[in-house]
Amino acid sequence: MTETLHQCWTAIREEAKARRNAFKEAAVPKIHIGMATCGIASGAMETKKAFEDALAEQNIEARIHTVGCAGHCYAEPVVVIDHPASGFPPIFYHQVTAGKAKMLTNLFLKEGDPRFEHVYGATEINELIPSVMEFPRFNQEKRIIMEKCGRIDPEDIHEYIAEGGYETLVKVLELPPEQVIAEIEKSGLRGRGGAGFPTGRKWALARRAHGENKIVICNADEGDPGAYMDRTILESNPHQILEGLMICAYTVGARKALIYVRAEYPLAVKLVTKAIEQAKELKLAGGNILGTGFDLDISVFQGSGAFVCGEETALIQSIEGQRGMPLHRPPYPVEKGLGGEPTVINNVKTLASVPPILEHGADWYRSIGTENSPGTAIFSVVGDVLHAGLVEIPMGVSLRTLIFDICGGVPNKKKFKAVQIGGPSGGCLPEHFLDTPIDFDSLTAAGAMMGSGGMVVMNEDACVVNVSRFFLDFTQKESCGKCTFCRIGTCHLLGILDRLTKGEGREGDIESLESLSEDIKDGSLCGLGKTAPNPVLTSIRYFRDEYEAHIREKKCPGKMCRPLTAFYIDLDKCARGCDACVGCCPVDAVFTTRNRKKGIDQALCVKCGECMVACPPQYDAVRKVSPPELAPVIERPATKESHP
Amino acid sequence: MAHEEILSEQEAIEKDIRSRVAAFEKARGNLIPILQMIQEKQAYLPPEAINTVAAHLEIPVCEVYGVATFYNQFRFHPPGRHPVKVCMGTACHVKAGDVILENFERKLEIREGQTTPDREFSIERVACVGCCALAPVALIGDTVHGHMAPSKVEGLLLRIRIEKEKAEREKVRGER
Amino acid sequence: MMLNILIDDKKIEAEEGKNLLQACLDNGIYIPNLCHVKDMAHPQASCRLCFVEIEGEKKPVPSCSVTVREGMRVKTDTPSVRRLQRSAFHLLLSRHFIECKVCPANRKCELQKIAKFLKVGLKSNYPLLLPKAVLETGKQETDESHPIFNYYPNRCVLCGLCIHVCRTTHGIALLTFAKRGIDTVISFYGEEDVSRLPGDKCLACVNICPVSAITLKSLS
Repeated sequence: MTETLHQCWTAIREEAKARRNAFKEAAVPKIHIGMATCGIASGAMETKKAFEDALAEQNIEARIHTVGCAGHCYAEPVVVIDHPASGFPPIFYHQVTAGKAKMLTNLFLKEGDPRFEHVYGATEINELIPSVMEFPRFNQEKRIIMEKCGRIDPEDIHEYIAEGGYETLVKVLELPPEQVIAEIEKSGLRGRGGAGFPTGRKWALARRAHGENKIVICNADEGDPGAYMDRTILESNPHQILEGLMICAYTVGARKALIYVRAEYPLAVKLVTKAIEQAKELKLAGGNILGTGFDLDISVFQGSGAFVCGEETALIQSIEGQRGMPLHRPPYPVEKGLGGEPTVINNVKTLASVPPILEHGADWYRSIGTENSPGTAIFSVVGDVLHAGLVEIPMGVSLRTLIFDICGGVPNKKKFKAVQIGGPSGGCLPEHFLDTPIDFDSLTAAGAMMGSGGMVVMNEDACVVNVSRFFLDFTQKESCGKCTFCRIGTCHLLGILDRLTKGEGREGDIESLESLSEDIKDGSLCGLGKTAPNPVLTSIRYFRDEYEAHIREKKCPGKMCRPLTAFYIDLDKCARGCDACVGCCPVDAVFTTRNRKKGIDQALCVKCGECMVACPPQYDAVRKVSPPELAPVIERPATKESHP
Repeated sequence: MAHEEILSEQEAIEKDIRSRVAAFEKARGNLIPILQMIQEKQAYLPPEAINTVAAHLEIPVCEVYGVATFYNQFRFHPPGRHPVKVCMGTACHVKAGDVILENFERKLEIREGQTTPDREFSIERVACVGCCALAPVALIGDTVHGHMAPSKVEGLLLRIRIEKEKAEREKVRGER
Repeated sequence: MMLNILIDDKKIEAEEGKNLLQACLDNGIYIPNLCHVKDMAHPQASCRLCFVEIEGEKKPVPSCSVTVREGMRVKTDTPSVRRLQRSAFHLLLSRHFIECKVCPANRKCELQKIAKFLKVGLKSNYPLLLPKAVLETGKQETDESHPIFNYYPNRCVLCGLCIHVCRTTHGIALLTFAKRGIDTVISFYGEEDVSRLPGDKCLACVNICPVSAITLKSLS
């Protein structure tokens, strides 16, 4: 058996390496374009088309290589041009629009001028061009899960294999499952779905559980409205997830595997389906894998858009064709899950961590991260931050390093106010938490939660009450409606927050929020309800003064709650005859005063802030105030006079 | 298009759906995949389709309805030809995505979840399209529009209307 | 095998494998509940009223989802148990349209019984979360789509007993939960064909409803 395994595998690996070498050694320039959803949204399709057209027009031979996403969303569309004949190292270009693509084809590919003003950096250290590896955004990351993302074509299994992929699976297929589980337990890997349950223990439980038809499920039902790392990994390197899933299935003794992906991620569904087909063609999946007698049927199930289905029992209900309502646990799915069979459910990032752990060993993994949370974590850092995107860092790195060093801090000279971690189940942490090391336990202690890894940075112009209201609105809409506390309790929380953001807060509201939150936390059936009040509780804990300002002064300190703010035009600064703000107002609220300056009709104004953006910086005449009474009254002249 | 033509087209779609449903194994676990297939073909779940599915899987009609109404994905009214989806993710919220939504509602004179009387546009809010670095984001059809601003809304809608008129004029000219 | 457990200093015996709530009810110890019936295999645990404290556990747990253990010590009347029960009850009341006088459930209504037990009134601590039209007109919504039954969503506590009893009686459930979250309702969708229905021969759902949210059309 071992012999056939090695024969089969050697043939596959050599084929993959030969293909890669042929690509690498071809004496033509290579253009690597990031084509995951975020890249496409920023126009990567147009960029690719522009390269193709320009290459054809100029009659240049070059290879266009579509890759996934490396997490540098702030720089999309990202293109790396490797043009050895020019004498330059491979160069990373950011925000490559169609026009830029055409220009680079003409000037760099044809004439050898890399256009330094557009260069972001070289991808490797060299003497000619500063390398991106000198930037903290690149060199302070530690990539284990996303190591190959953005470097390989997700639609070609050979590229993954040429980079060492599936090597671990082959190794594992010759090991006793207990040994593999022991290694995972030793590595201290904890579930990356948010709760941080030890993965090795889950696998061990499932291995011991009785059942003929055990099932393993990859949970890619990423629902946090601000986290998209699972999608990115599925779209950039689906095979690493498949490899982890196969290893999991082999060790627990399952013959069926499912990947549960949101239907809202059509590209991820397409790519992972294709990856499964390719793995089957190479006999890496399906029946009798690599001649070892191990069978594994892998399929994709599309989740239909219910945040609660990220919860294990609800996820199973939805696969069974039921309403996705969580069940009381125990029994846990590892004992009695899908169809009553033992079921292991692991998050995308957990499974993607497995191959590197088994490749380099548990001790290596333990050397990264902290004692109780080894390894790396991926965060999607968005909001008021310069270099937004996905960042993979070792556990234990401080928030300050992550936000200010790696992601470049808060732009436009604004002050940092808070960071919301963990999405709807997480919390809002203030400045004095910036030096807290990030791991499962420290975040839980602070009242937040690792959760999905969504991280929204807020500057001084954000309102924590408003953001809490946003999350409650989300959880209330996503509540399955089964248990009383979550179904009705979250509605009342939202109702109070609604009043606060409208300036209708009353004394006692903060106390009502606190006591109802505690009840929902203790009384709810599943994780969604138990964690739903976290955004409220943490923001009250750390920003009580803002809640009080909303209630007592009807004032929004961040000037974000629209009913509590007003825009007005500073007549001392407004330039006579300038009409910049008039055209941009969507509701015609800007009028001309008698002396040909501008005023805002407060009754019509919808407070969108467009006039503030439109007002030329040299005038800077539009002001935003809270409470709205601070805006001086400027009378609108009678219609006749304004239109003589 | 003549009225009869539309009718026969509708019948063809229904027939197609019935045969596709019949191809699925009669397993309860296939309920959601079948509903997804119908929605992909018809853009919504008409009442007849719900009956077809129930009959095929041999489960009560109300059970199909109960499951379908649970999930965000399924809709029970046909969307507009150009569905507008406004992202309401966290990053978009912080960058005032609700203002964008309101502006679409104002310009199209419909509320979120509704379709314009001419069936051209419908407005929906979506949880997160995962383009957080481009916030605020809106989709018209499948095209993502990043860094949206209220003042861009009118232009986007106008462009679609102009293109439609142009296409109609050309069609009329072609018929002459 | 019978197990010995201690509930509020009262020794009771319970059969192995039984759930704690049922064991208490069988021994005359009342714990408020709405979504529990004796023959349910897997507890719904959705009404969140039957909380108790069990020695060794930090927080109150719903007794319907606990299997009895030998030597278990349980308290049914502690401040944290009552806090959660009253909170859940007030939340349910905030969605319940009160018109006891004309309601067929009057005097046999579970909500009245629980209110009395918890020593709270029928007025919710929370603002009423009923549709605007209901609050303005003082007339509740009625779903009259079913040929035999009427359904009153503003009475319903979504305990799910009607669905359960229909399924155990007929093998299939002819009514279902529909929609989601705060909009969740019981729906008879699609069953307009009277000939296929058990009709007024079967009133299981009407009889089991603790708050008369489903009534026979001919009587209303």
